[in-house]
Amino acid sequence: MVDLVQNTIDGLMIGSSYGLLALGFTLIFGVMRRLNLSYGPSIMIGGYLGTVLYLQFGAGPLVVAAAVVIGAAVAGLYVERLCFAPMKAGAAIASMVSSFAIWMQLEQAAILVLPRHTYAFPALATGAPLEFGPFTVRPDHLVMLGSALGLAAAVQLVLYRTRFGLGLRAIIGNPVAAHLVGIDVRTALPLAFAGASAVGGVAGFLVLAVDQQVTPMFGMWATLKGLIAMMIGGLGSVPGAVLGGLLLGVIEAQSQWYFGPQIRDLMAYFVLFAVLALRPRGLVGSLPEAATQKA
Amino acid sequence: MFEVSDIVAAYGQIEALKGVSLKVESGRITCLLGPNGAGKTTLMMTIAGILQPRRGSIRLEGAELAGLTPARIVSRGVALVPENRLVFPEMSVRENLQAGAYQRRDRAGVDADIERMYARFPRLKERREQMAGTLSGGEQQMLAVARALMSRPRLLLMDEPSLGLAPLIVAEIFDIIAELNRDGTTIFLVEQNAHMALKVAHQFFLMEQGRITFSGTPGQLAEDEVIQRAYLGTRRAAG
Repeated sequence: MVDLVQNTIDGLMIGSSYGLLALGFTLIFGVMRRLNLSYGPSIMIGGYLGTVLYLQFGAGPLVVAAAVVIGAAVAGLYVERLCFAPMKAGAAIASMVSSFAIWMQLEQAAILVLPRHTYAFPALATGAPLEFGPFTVRPDHLVMLGSALGLAAAVQLVLYRTRFGLGLRAIIGNPVAAHLVGIDVRTALPLAFAGASAVGGVAGFLVLAVDQQVTPMFGMWATLKGLIAMMIGGLGSVPGAVLGGLLLGVIEAQSQWYFGPQIRDLMAYFVLFAVLALRPRGLVGSLPEAATQKA
Repeated sequence: MFEVSDIVAAYGQIEALKGVSLKVESGRITCLLGPNGAGKTTLMMTIAGILQPRRGSIRLEGAELAGLTPARIVSRGVALVPENRLVFPEMSVRENLQAGAYQRRDRAGVDADIERMYARFPRLKERREQMAGTLSGGEQQMLAVARALMSRPRLLLMDEPSLGLAPLIVAEIFDIIAELNRDGTTIFLVEQNAHMALKVAHQFFLMEQGRITFSGTPGQLAEDEVIQRAYLGTRRAAG
């Protein structure tokens, strides 16, 4: 019983960063109606930028965090300009395939700059685990949970309480109508893309700081976790993304503890399959049916 | 005055508009008739800037609109109520109206205009917190009209506002069109329902295969035998 609760606590902590990854992913999917496979690799580029600053100049966690977020946003913008802006409406496959090509390119670029397989990444909040009765919580996990939930709430506020958010939701709802009411869609799309990549960058920084290392494979890892959490939670919803992430975190933590790491990933895919089979729009998916079909 | 001159627009190799010219007098209701596939919606989308014309000019009070982005065209005072309404389904009625005023920065004015829309369309007021996707077809059409009006257009474009609506609702929509026009809005309307259009419009154009093939007043339209047969007669037989 203690194990079960402890696993749940650990899972929720890690899952909060999955939720952030899913949030960035779902924003991009919502406004573009296309899958951006280079989402994770953009975040990885931010991670490498942070690591370079850390290793070369001994930059502190705040500077590294800023570098990861800015790096991810700039890399995201690069992906948008190359894979999404030039493709006409309906060319979703072309965008997806080119985002796969850019994924490979970003990964190779990272390996060229830092050729070893792993590099150190600065830790976030070191110190002894906090004890609550029989349970323990790592301080960096607490920072992760707090930042992730805080940022998700901020994104929700921007979407539902600001003019820019109204415009983004209009684009998500119907891009042609968004043009017709006078929203400057061509400016809003790259902004949203960069912002969503920055959200992913925050998640990336939190995960890397907990792992204290970065590898070129982090891009694929981030894309996969974000994609699974997004699909479990449902496309186009901030609470859905967070819920999907938390759930994925808990499932992974439990199956890791009881069945080991191989079964852990298998379980994640199994749950994804079960959710999609029973509720194709995810647990709280809100994207219009027509939108999901188009993509 | 709104003037379209020699507009050519194409989808790839297929020319949908083959040199369209027409004039819309300020303060009046002008109606564009024509069969399916004639290019009416293409013309509306081109005026709104969603499609770029290959050639030709589109002028509102002398200022060129061709080549501008849709957002700029809205800011110049042209708003389109698109075919099939295209409301934002996952946004409330109120948010749809706010989105319609996206370019306006005068918050108080926008709020006052929303109240004005509620007064004109009481059904929208009842449903103001409801998601637009849950409204009936007629309510969505009213929302689409109200949303377009929120930008305070000088020229209101409407693409088949009667499409798919019950006859009673269609009559209501046309009452609203006449009323908006009495309040001073210039309206350029695409319609297949020629009978309804004849009751409100001051000027008619007929488009066939990407060209304007007739223009005239309601009286001339009713006299013209070809149109009578093609668009009024069959319409009556079908309806």
